[in-house]
Amino acid sequence: LKTYLIRKLILIIPLLFGITLLTFTLTKALPGDPVLSMVGERAQPEVIERIRRELGSDKNIFDQYFGYVRLLLQGEFGRSYYTNRKVFDDLLLKCPNTLKLAAGAMLIAIPFGLLFGFVSAYKKDTFIDSLITTVSVAGLSIPVFWSGLLIMLFFSLKLKLFPPSGTGDIRFLILPAITLSLPAIAALSRVTRTTLIEIFDMNFITTAKAKGLTEFRINTVHVMKNALIPIITIIGLDFGSYLNGAVLTETIFGWDGIGRFIMEGIIKRDYPVIMGCVIVGTLIFVVINMLVDIAYHYLDPRVRLHEDSR
Amino acid sequence: MNSDDIVVRKQAYIIYISFIFLLTLLTSCSSQNRQAGYIYYRLSTNPTTLDPALIVDVTGGSIAAKIFNGLVKIGDGLDIVPDIAETWTISTDGLLYTFRLRQGVRFSNNREVKAYDIKYSFQRVLEPESKSPNTWVFEKIAGADEFLKGRSDTIQGIRVIDDNTLQIRLKKPFSPFLKLLAMTAAYIVPKEEVKKWGPDFSSHPMGTGPFILESWLPNREIRLVKRADYFDQPAKVRGIIYRIIPEDLTAVTEFDLGNIDILTIPASEFSRYRKDQTKNKYIASIQGLNTYYMGLNCSRPPFDNPVLRRAMNYAVDRKKILDTIYEKRGRIANGPLPDVLRKWDMPDHYEYNPEKAREMIRDQGLNGITVNFYITAEQEIIDMAEVLQSYIESAGIHVKIKQLEWSAYKEAINKGEADMFYLSWWADYPDPENFLFPLFHSSNLGAAGNRTRFKDYTVDSLIEKGQSSINERQRDEFYQRAEERIVDEAPWVFLWHRTDFTIRQPWVKNYTIYPIYSMDKGTEISF
Repeated sequence: LKTYLIRKLILIIPLLFGITLLTFTLTKALPGDPVLSMVGERAQPEVIERIRRELGSDKNIFDQYFGYVRLLLQGEFGRSYYTNRKVFDDLLLKCPNTLKLAAGAMLIAIPFGLLFGFVSAYKKDTFIDSLITTVSVAGLSIPVFWSGLLIMLFFSLKLKLFPPSGTGDIRFLILPAITLSLPAIAALSRVTRTTLIEIFDMNFITTAKAKGLTEFRINTVHVMKNALIPIITIIGLDFGSYLNGAVLTETIFGWDGIGRFIMEGIIKRDYPVIMGCVIVGTLIFVVINMLVDIAYHYLDPRVRLHEDSR
Repeated sequence: MNSDDIVVRKQAYIIYISFIFLLTLLTSCSSQNRQAGYIYYRLSTNPTTLDPALIVDVTGGSIAAKIFNGLVKIGDGLDIVPDIAETWTISTDGLLYTFRLRQGVRFSNNREVKAYDIKYSFQRVLEPESKSPNTWVFEKIAGADEFLKGRSDTIQGIRVIDDNTLQIRLKKPFSPFLKLLAMTAAYIVPKEEVKKWGPDFSSHPMGTGPFILESWLPNREIRLVKRADYFDQPAKVRGIIYRIIPEDLTAVTEFDLGNIDILTIPASEFSRYRKDQTKNKYIASIQGLNTYYMGLNCSRPPFDNPVLRRAMNYAVDRKKILDTIYEKRGRIANGPLPDVLRKWDMPDHYEYNPEKAREMIRDQGLNGITVNFYITAEQEIIDMAEVLQSYIESAGIHVKIKQLEWSAYKEAINKGEADMFYLSWWADYPDPENFLFPLFHSSNLGAAGNRTRFKDYTVDSLIEKGQSSINERQRDEFYQRAEERIVDEAPWVFLWHRTDFTIRQPWVKNYTIYPIYSMDKGTEISF
């Protein structure tokens, strides 16, 4: 396991190099010039030239890229073109918020998703099953900006329970977390259902029943443990994508996370911001994937990592 | 069912109930979310910077107005009134301005403002390392060019006479010069703080204004706190909190819950508030100093043809658009200038006349040609563009709409790629010159404002004469002739001037809505 982790960590370096190169060239290839948005509606060509020079965007793209990599090697992410703030400081401010939102959404999604999936599988082909299936399909297909607004109108305006927007303590977190969890609950319950139905038909369950084990024990220990692999995969994927920002949810609820930050960066062509977010996002994905791999390692002997090295 | 199951169910119930209990506990504080004594505004975007030298957006400008002061400011009658300068004199040739500073004006670090602070603040905008896009504000001062190009280490035209007296010499007479000095870029900053913070002065601004920046959480909120020792009338509220809420519907919900005190009404909510009997008495409106237009690229066919440009103006039924889509939130533009800034009569030259438009286009042999129409990809603008498109198509010209993101759009229209584009201009200072010169003078092609690439010798010389004439009556005459010529040449389809509407909570007192963002110092409003 240790060697696996070390190898993965070493692999991050070329990965980051590739990702930065790709993002850098792609964003630069987009039409639109940040300097033109920075200077406002009335700017002489000399001013534009001067600011381009100051930012170094008059140099050719390779010089610009290597300039950026040099900056990164010094542990710097640079400053936003527009706000003049250090990108790193802003990321430090926004990452915990994104983490809170993602964790909050998963905390809601995991129990409910598993519960619905389990009930659905257990009561296969009954009314409850088709009800849950319908609701999950709806949950997957309803756009977040709509469900988010409905949730806000109901809980904030009607019930006056939670503030509609803002970033802060748990009061502010609940509504966006619920909104964000809806598609995850749906996805999770679908996967749980399919997996469980498969497992219910397997021989070892029959064996367990024959051994006289209680239904509860069969369900929790035998079935669940075997169903965990696909479920953890889904959780890992969702969590990873939430950690990279949930633009719509963040925008509706005024939550100050990575999603809005990178979106604004892209719209304004604020290259240092885009690059900073992409690098952090890549790292998050790699770490989540590693965690998922480690979970596999403990859950399923067949996918033990580097058996030989132990 | 066996015993295992029952035990687990009981446990589940207990967990469930305690979870609900915890939730109720947490939320007993309700959806209210505010601090007493502070007035709450909504911003739809995060201001990019609060450094006056760098600000180009209205949001940033309106906040900076509360933190900083200039030498002069714009008064209620859109005239120039004293701010840090107590009095001033202008020499008869219109070249030399002598300002006497008010005594006892202090930065919020308690240092008194001296004349050299003024010189420093103006000079700083022209320094290359400030990266200021606002250098044009000071380019009229003698010696500005030499300083900008690094040929001189000081601006010769700005002289500190003594601690309280400052002289500014212009290259040539420029009638709206004092109005330039009321702009955001001309706010006075303390050198020691700029040096201390370096590029971070953007987020740690300090000035002489009625408020101090208490905290700024980008994309969340900006908190200003009142200064008790402000040299003019101090604010009546404890402070101001700007909440950054990008989504309109969210902002409306916050307002309806009482978490926002003053809200600029989003277009989609306008009719709801207007019909609401309990709320509509709290709606305020102001004719904004703005002009919306459809720019026609005059530098190449087909719109290098003035007859076609005039026909375009006849083809659009602006009144109908204003009455229906805009729900009367604006007035028809008879020319590029808002009525408030115009001291002469300007009748509507282009009343809707589709037959005339079709006829003119046919006479020019341009029937059936295709032009492209660049717009930004915002829903409100897309809707508007489609309406404009249908009017122009019915006059016999095919219109291909091209949607672009803001920065790509700007690049395209600055370079002159578009045949037609939809844009607006908002005044920086209340003077006809602020519309005529940047938008129509041939020295400002492209990014400097004249995006239709309109070149007309007569208009150029009339604007220049207006700029340099000291006599007000004469100046208005030049401006009037320039505007008439522009309307006749029609580089734009002159659309409308938008009216802004705000709604306030019943508990907000002494609220005024201003035509220019920099006029609101935040000292009048109270609870």
